Amino acid sequence: MIQADGLTKYYAQHPAIVDVSFQVEEGEIVAFLGPNAAGKTTTMRILTGYMPATFGTAQVAGFDLGEQSLQARRNIGYMPEAVALYPDMRVHQYLSYCGRLQGMGKAELTERMEYVIDRCGLSERASSIIGTLSLGFRQRVSLAQAMLHDPPVLILDEPTVGLDPNQIVEVRNLIKSLAGDHTVLLSTHILPEAQMTCERVIIINEGEIIAEGSPQALTSQLRQAETLLVTIRDDDGTVARQMKNIPEVVDVRSAEQAGSYYVETKVGSDLRANISEFIVANGWGLLELRPVEMSLEDVFRELTTEEKGVA
Amino acid sequence: MRNILTIAGKELRSYFTSPMAYVLAVFYLGIIGYIFILIFLLSPQAQTEHLGNLIGSMLFLTLFIIPMLTMGLFAQERASGTMELLMTRPVRDWEVVIGKFLAIVSLFASVIIISLSYPVILEVVAKVDWAMILTGYFGLLLAGAAFAALGIFASSLTSNQIAAAIIAVFMLLFLWLVGALSYSVSQSLGDVFKHLSVLENYQDFSKGIIDTKNILYFLSLIFVSLFLAVRTIENRRTI
Repeated sequence: MIQADGLTKYYAQHPAIVDVSFQVEEGEIVAFLGPNAAGKTTTMRILTGYMPATFGTAQVAGFDLGEQSLQARRNIGYMPEAVALYPDMRVHQYLSYCGRLQGMGKAELTERMEYVIDRCGLSERASSIIGTLSLGFRQRVSLAQAMLHDPPVLILDEPTVGLDPNQIVEVRNLIKSLAGDHTVLLSTHILPEAQMTCERVIIINEGEIIAEGSPQALTSQLRQAETLLVTIRDDDGTVARQMKNIPEVVDVRSAEQAGSYYVETKVGSDLRANISEFIVANGWGLLELRPVEMSLEDVFRELTTEEKGVA
Repeated sequence: MRNILTIAGKELRSYFTSPMAYVLAVFYLGIIGYIFILIFLLSPQAQTEHLGNLIGSMLFLTLFIIPMLTMGLFAQERASGTMELLMTRPVRDWEVVIGKFLAIVSLFASVIIISLSYPVILEVVAKVDWAMILTGYFGLLLAGAAFAALGIFASSLTSNQIAAAIIAVFMLLFLWLVGALSYSVSQSLGDVFKHLSVLENYQDFSKGIIDTKNILYFLSLIFVSLFLAVRTIENRRTI
């Protein structure tokens, strides 16, 4: 449903994104994950037809954004990063204006307006003047206008920014419930959000895609070592050095807690038995020994900082 | 066409939900009314032919009023970020420009129609040359539309409303005063300046004369300005 081929965008001399290519299949929910200024918004602005790429092509719902921009735009619901609405309009006035610009007929518009107002929790604010609404409500209006014309493709730029925790859960559930009927590309810099709402994650940093896959696949693919957390009672300060001598142990780092260590071992090895034997034999008093799952957060940090280290 | 009307309707409504339209209309009609009283009710030797001058001063006021109405049309959308959503709707750039242009022209038309009540009042006490009045109003509407088009172009250039208004007023003042230059330069260049002048092209209307040359002048001013506005918006997408 969404296809980006070698998208590159220069702002003056400075490249915002370089050779960004990816695909989103029909009915998928995909997160576009990256730190601020990674190029997420630039990519989305190209995909929504707001601005053309310097190089590369993009298609949405089978329409090329260069040649058939209007048809593509008809099939997209877009929620921009900055919630920008007309402050002097009422919620229902604004939605009906958006619907008419999307080419909706009167009957369809009335029906869909009722539906999105209800789904986005705006029933009690439908006749409020937008300028008087709180940021949370304005965010919902912005989401409502994106869903209004029932577009096959939804592009949501940081949809949960500025919401309180309860609203965040509501919006995430709403987005999840759109899967299947809609193809959703959402951007976020919050990792748990990507992990919770999306089937697939595309990680972008400094304008380039650096990893892509399901949250599970990404964590295992990028794991270069198994990590065990070991806690001992009698730490004499030589523990770390001595444990490094165990075969297949790659590295030993102190954890936050005193007496705790992260022991990294070779991929595919399970040294739990060896390590516990070793600790017991030395009489250190084994309190805890468990494998540590690498979270998407670790993957993300590893990927994005590694990139900087190279440059 | 539907998109154009949707945009025009939205803009018109927002003029009337803000105090902007009312303030400017009251100001405009108030000043015209004041001049009207000065000319016709307080000076005994007034002739109805002076109505042409009245419409002339309306045009000069229009030069300042229209930029205040057009300044926000694109600058405001850019500054607040609503431009992004507007530009990702399945609407062509020129439809947006024409829609906004139509909104201004219909607002201006309704204000000057209200001002027609002044000559109607005069009709009670004197004989009014309606053909001349209506020709003058036609010219006023045409010139107002041209000012609006130029104002829209100015608004498309920047995200600062005040800057947009200043640019528009200066461009209009230039077009207003360029005719005066024609006396201090050579004959041929002077003719060019005269043809460029808003005032020169308006004068015939206020005398009750409709000349295709003058109509063409204002129509081309409208066309060129709106064309430049559309191109500016297209170009702005790429940066």
